[in-house]
Amino acid sequence: MGDSSDEEYLGTDWLAYSERSDWEDVQPLAQDDGPNPVVSIAYSQKFREVFDYMRAIIARGEKSQRALDLTTDALRLNPANYTVWQYRRDVLRELKADLYAELDYLTEVIGQNSKNYQVWHHRRVIVEMLNDPSNELELTENALVNDGDAKNYHAWQHRQWAIRSFNLYDDELSFVDRLISEDQRNNSAWNQRFFVIKHFGFTPELIQRELSYTMNRIRIIKNNESAWNYLVGVMRQGDSGNALLSSYPDVVDFVEELYQAGNRSPYLLAFLIDLYQEQALQLKASDSDQLARKVYGLCEDMATKHDVIRRKYWQYVANHLKNQLSTVEQK
Amino acid sequence: MEDRTDTEPVLLSKHAKNLLRFLNLLPARMASHDNTRSTIVFFAVCGLDVLNSLHLVPPQLRQDIIDWIYGGLVVPRDNEKNCGGFMGCRAMVPKTEDAEILECMRNYQWGHLAMTYTSLAVLVTLGDDLSRLDRKSIVDGVAAVQKPEGSFSACIDGSEDDMRFVYCAATICYMLDYWGDVNKETMFQFITRSLRYDYGFSQELEGEAHGGTTFCALAALHLSGQLHRLDATTVERMKRWLIFRQMDGFQGRPNKPVDTCYSFWIGASLCILNGFELTDYARNREFILSTQDKLIGGFAKWPQATPDPFHTYLGLCGLAFTGEPGLSPVNPSLNMSMAAYAHLQHLHEQWRSADGRGDEDISVSSAFKQQLHLSKGVEATSTTTTSNSPLISAQ
Ligand SMILES: [Zn+2]
Repeated sequence: MGDSSDEEYLGTDWLAYSERSDWEDVQPLAQDDGPNPVVSIAYSQKFREVFDYMRAIIARGEKSQRALDLTTDALRLNPANYTVWQYRRDVLRELKADLYAELDYLTEVIGQNSKNYQVWHHRRVIVEMLNDPSNELELTENALVNDGDAKNYHAWQHRQWAIRSFNLYDDELSFVDRLISEDQRNNSAWNQRFFVIKHFGFTPELIQRELSYTMNRIRIIKNNESAWNYLVGVMRQGDSGNALLSSYPDVVDFVEELYQAGNRSPYLLAFLIDLYQEQALQLKASDSDQLARKVYGLCEDMATKHDVIRRKYWQYVANHLKNQLSTVEQK
Repeated sequence: MEDRTDTEPVLLSKHAKNLLRFLNLLPARMASHDNTRSTIVFFAVCGLDVLNSLHLVPPQLRQDIIDWIYGGLVVPRDNEKNCGGFMGCRAMVPKTEDAEILECMRNYQWGHLAMTYTSLAVLVTLGDDLSRLDRKSIVDGVAAVQKPEGSFSACIDGSEDDMRFVYCAATICYMLDYWGDVNKETMFQFITRSLRYDYGFSQELEGEAHGGTTFCALAALHLSGQLHRLDATTVERMKRWLIFRQMDGFQGRPNKPVDTCYSFWIGASLCILNGFELTDYARNREFILSTQDKLIGGFAKWPQATPDPFHTYLGLCGLAFTGEPGLSPVNPSLNMSMAAYAHLQHLHEQWRSADGRGDEDISVSSAFKQQLHLSKGVEATSTTTTSNSPLISAQ
């Protein structure tokens, strides 16, 4: 990225702007870094020259084809220069340029800089100008699947934006399911699943279907935080967002059976701690005792055996419940 | 500190030398960081401060840094759009006497929230009194980039808006002790709308919960005095999500690899929620130290990776939260040393008495003090560092 050596500059494929006849009329403008600059970058000769011409063009306010080509060179050297991107947009508007050509250019640039904020922002603005999202699902699919980073935050963010802005929800669940099948630990894909289901609405039927889906996933990989978080997240959606974990007896049975079968995943134990804690707080003080003791026992097991790195946290959780129960008692 | 069985030392002076180097000349391969030069100054200066090593910056260089930072200040005229703030570089500043050219370039000179935040933090850390800037003009610039739904862009034109700039906006207003036309209510709405089903915060709306953006969200709530608006159950669930990020070091999202910088992002978030002491300090330290470059100093994101100023600074802050000897305590929300924070409070008092304002707004800073004293070790060092701070006496 932006690593331009002077060898490349001297190479035959690059003609300095100062030697281009169609740039004769432009006087390059050096950068003024002040009398005693700090964190100075030892710009390559090529970088320095391109940005000297860039400043000259911006100072003239020239919005022409050659100005557009110059921004291409400048952005290849520094794709993070947000002002040059903005100038490029101003030129595109002025020239009434072919924005589909711009999309093609961006597909290439994003392929090389898929974790750069400015390129994705530019893409969003161009898609908005075109009012045409028809390439965005494929673009982000490439960034997520073919380029190998299925957790690329920028790509997911862009994909969500396109889906939300242009109502492209219809086929998203099958895409998400494919990614979860490929990697059940892909938390980004689980999050996307929540985003899609929420759009369709957390009806009791949909909640039930999602809980079954997630339990099936957990049966395959038990110690997967992403699936457990999704499970609890969906359970809480019931009862206008206030549902208790105990409102879903089939999930409770499922988790308790896993526990009985000997599974000690910290995520499973954390679920049981939350479940019994909630139940203990629902009951009258005299009846909550047994449940509270279960919580304390599980916290103790976590702290000493199954989740030792969080031992102080699990002690805290147990103490927290003790305090809550004693306040209830005082009332 | 607790169960510190490890023996590997933090190479304090190597880290200081490493950071100092970045203040001078950077190699051409860093040209793609041209637009964020002031963040490099921030990591170097604030890192040296956390290392208690600001005295290694010679007086002339210290002055050059301050002057260079002020050189990036954009002050719009009355008839221009509200683009006040700091630029992080000089790419749009031409060397010319030609008044017409200088005038034309103004159209593309805008303050940038992240650059404004880091520039102010550098000035405060170096003991500057901020008298060369107009606080209102800067906060007008912040208010001008706020979106109707509460989020913020980085600058007046050509930027995405998300939680990172919500944080920058809150820090700038907090540091300048002035919120002007910034709408804290819509800001709060945007932040809480970005809380996910697993109780981490997304970069915007329904994206995936992420450690860096969770820090931005919580710190912005804290700095804007709105943390108390979260109910107790929500706070406990947030703590759970944060605590679960610890593997040995911290990860930024579930099922992602650990990375040195999350010892800061997650650590600071837990400090804000009063839960940092629930983490395993020794395992955290062990991971951070596995990314320490023993030859040239600095920390990398992963073991055996190349160190950089970003991970060096955030690694040091992560260690500072555990009370690492030799490091200055760090203010988690502002992401600067407690000594720099003390200087900032001093400035606030001066401005308030000059404005004839009392201590009516001081509640936020006293909440700060309480939260920051969660670790007794930190409290003890905090007092001594503040009174002996070379930067305060350099004033
Ligand atoms: Zn990192």
